[in-house]
Amino acid sequence: MASSLRGRLLNMLLLPLAVLLAAGAIGAYFLSLEPASEAYDQALGDIALALGERIRVGDGKVSFDLPGAAEEVLRKDKYDTIYYHVRGPDGVPLAGDPGLPAIPPGSVPEDGVIAYGGRYRDQDIRVIALLVPCGGQICTVQVAETTNKRRHLARQIILSSLVPQLLIALLTLAVVWFAVKRGLAPLEGLSADIRARSARDLRSVDPGHAPAEARPLVGALNQLLGQVAESSRNQQRFLANAAHQLRTPLAGLQAHAEIALAQAGPRRAELEQMHGATVRTARLANQLLALARAEPGGFRAEAPAPVSLRAMVEDAADEWVHRALARDIDLGFELGEARVSGDALLLREAFVNLVHNALEYTPRGGRVTARTGMRNGNAYLEVEDDGPGIPPAERAQVLERFYRVPGTAGTGSGLGLAIVREIALAHGAEVEIGPGEAGRGCKVELRFPHG
Amino acid sequence: MISAVRILIVEDDATLASGIARILEGEGHAIDVVASGEQAVLGARQERFDVMILDVGLPGIDGFEVLRRLRATGLKIPVLVLTARDALDDRVRGLDLGADDYMPKPFAMPELAARVRALVRRSQAQTGPKIVHGPLVLDTLARRAHLNGDPLDLAAREWAVLEVLLARVEKIVSKESIIQAVASWGEELTPNAIEVYVSRLRAKLEPAGVRIRTVRGFCYMLEDFQEEKLGK
Repeated sequence: MASSLRGRLLNMLLLPLAVLLAAGAIGAYFLSLEPASEAYDQALGDIALALGERIRVGDGKVSFDLPGAAEEVLRKDKYDTIYYHVRGPDGVPLAGDPGLPAIPPGSVPEDGVIAYGGRYRDQDIRVIALLVPCGGQICTVQVAETTNKRRHLARQIILSSLVPQLLIALLTLAVVWFAVKRGLAPLEGLSADIRARSARDLRSVDPGHAPAEARPLVGALNQLLGQVAESSRNQQRFLANAAHQLRTPLAGLQAHAEIALAQAGPRRAELEQMHGATVRTARLANQLLALARAEPGGFRAEAPAPVSLRAMVEDAADEWVHRALARDIDLGFELGEARVSGDALLLREAFVNLVHNALEYTPRGGRVTARTGMRNGNAYLEVEDDGPGIPPAERAQVLERFYRVPGTAGTGSGLGLAIVREIALAHGAEVEIGPGEAGRGCKVELRFPHG
Repeated sequence: MISAVRILIVEDDATLASGIARILEGEGHAIDVVASGEQAVLGARQERFDVMILDVGLPGIDGFEVLRRLRATGLKIPVLVLTARDALDDRVRGLDLGADDYMPKPFAMPELAARVRALVRRSQAQTGPKIVHGPLVLDTLARRAHLNGDPLDLAAREWAVLEVLLARVEKIVSKESIIQAVASWGEELTPNAIEVYVSRLRAKLEPAGVRIRTVRGFCYMLEDFQEEKLGK
């Protein structure tokens, strides 16, 4: 959570919020406790005044008289115990509880009243002292009460200010939580877009509704994608050059081998070997290039385009009909419309490899059929032969590079079906290898995804 | 049979150029070889060649540019483009620019020889009213056909189908494209109808060795009438 933006924001908000909360509570406490406690002091002061009126001066003697019933009323309080103490001018106790704390020295009366705190009988008390004139001198009336009421009030004040503040704080945190979620939603859309991409798709990312703060990230990402696309283009250029460099001398070699063969002679067997090796080398070069092009990372930086499998096969058919004739194989076509989205060059390469394989492994006089069409909403491309077929146990392995079924005739490189698989993968298509009709031969089907 | 012709080979790889030259000389053609696009344009303008074999990857101006300049000056010489790059891309571009055929490198020499023969046939067919295919002669002006010198009776639609096949010897021709070519006759034609015409043509032509091959489920191909073939 420490690395999540939301967590960090919340963490950063939590401390200031707590401090604010505490300060608010303390502020509210003092701001409202003062007037409230003044009101209680006032009540105590009233009692003191009432008591002061009970001081009598006669014959130069000061006396205090409080009827028992009055004292009872005076001392009656729901929450607190009330004490009082009355002293004569010379400090002589006249009535009440003589142990109340004395007036702190140096206190200045306010409206004739001194308010102070102290302890009495192991309890906090609040004392109001009233100086009353008596026969030209000063008598003292102290009224005190325990602080239950005041503490209760303080608790109430704190509670009543804390609860709404706490609610506001929680609300703030919740707002931040959801605001961050909302604010980051465009980023999540962005990452979903990127996740959904194929490894071949190197177009720039559309920042869409990404917040301004995320733009530099998108920009950096696009810059990286641009660099990858550029290096991919470099690789493509390299492949094209490599193809050119390899194919032309191989074509020359093949031409001269064929001329030499046409003139026959005692070295015919060697020449045939040479010629065969040249043809295989040329094919291998083509296949390696196709593989490099098809696999992720060796991508052609091109967006998929609509491709008609039928038109593609029709277009490639000419060349393969001749090769089939040369091998005395009956190459047939059953072509229905089948449109897919992809790379026409790679799809053609897949078809070429399937047909080449079929012609390679089907004996003379055999039958090879290429089909395209739609099946249950999926476009398909399949090539079937009536050759020896591929045993079920080998079917998964023949899709691996350079794997050849043990004991197979022919001169294949073992790359053909690996290329077909890479190209299928690049198009989201499935490759299925099975027996041909009537359980004989081999059928390889490429089944493309819907749409 | 086609007569010997002059062929200009434009290829900068000396080994390949000499190989192609020797094969085509073996077929009785007169061969000139140049190694650059500039020389190719110059040569094609100054002398009369019947066919040009043009490599795409040339030093200086490339094969496509050569093709563009030739066509821009109205030269209709049949051009066979050789490409070492991604065949499909180059092919589309080449055909757009007016190439008549293309071959990806490397290629088998008999196939190259066959393609050249087809191009020569096409260019000769353009120059005269007679189409000659082995023992078969079609006089397109007089609308008379002969087989081994004997008059050959062809129904109008048989003639039309045969013309389509003769225009693309050694190439597969789909039933759809035959229907399209014969469609000006008005009524709807079905693939089955085409099969009927083809089987009638076969009955008339095969005794003389002119063979129409069926490519299962797809199309037909008039086989090259060539007794001896190179290699296989």
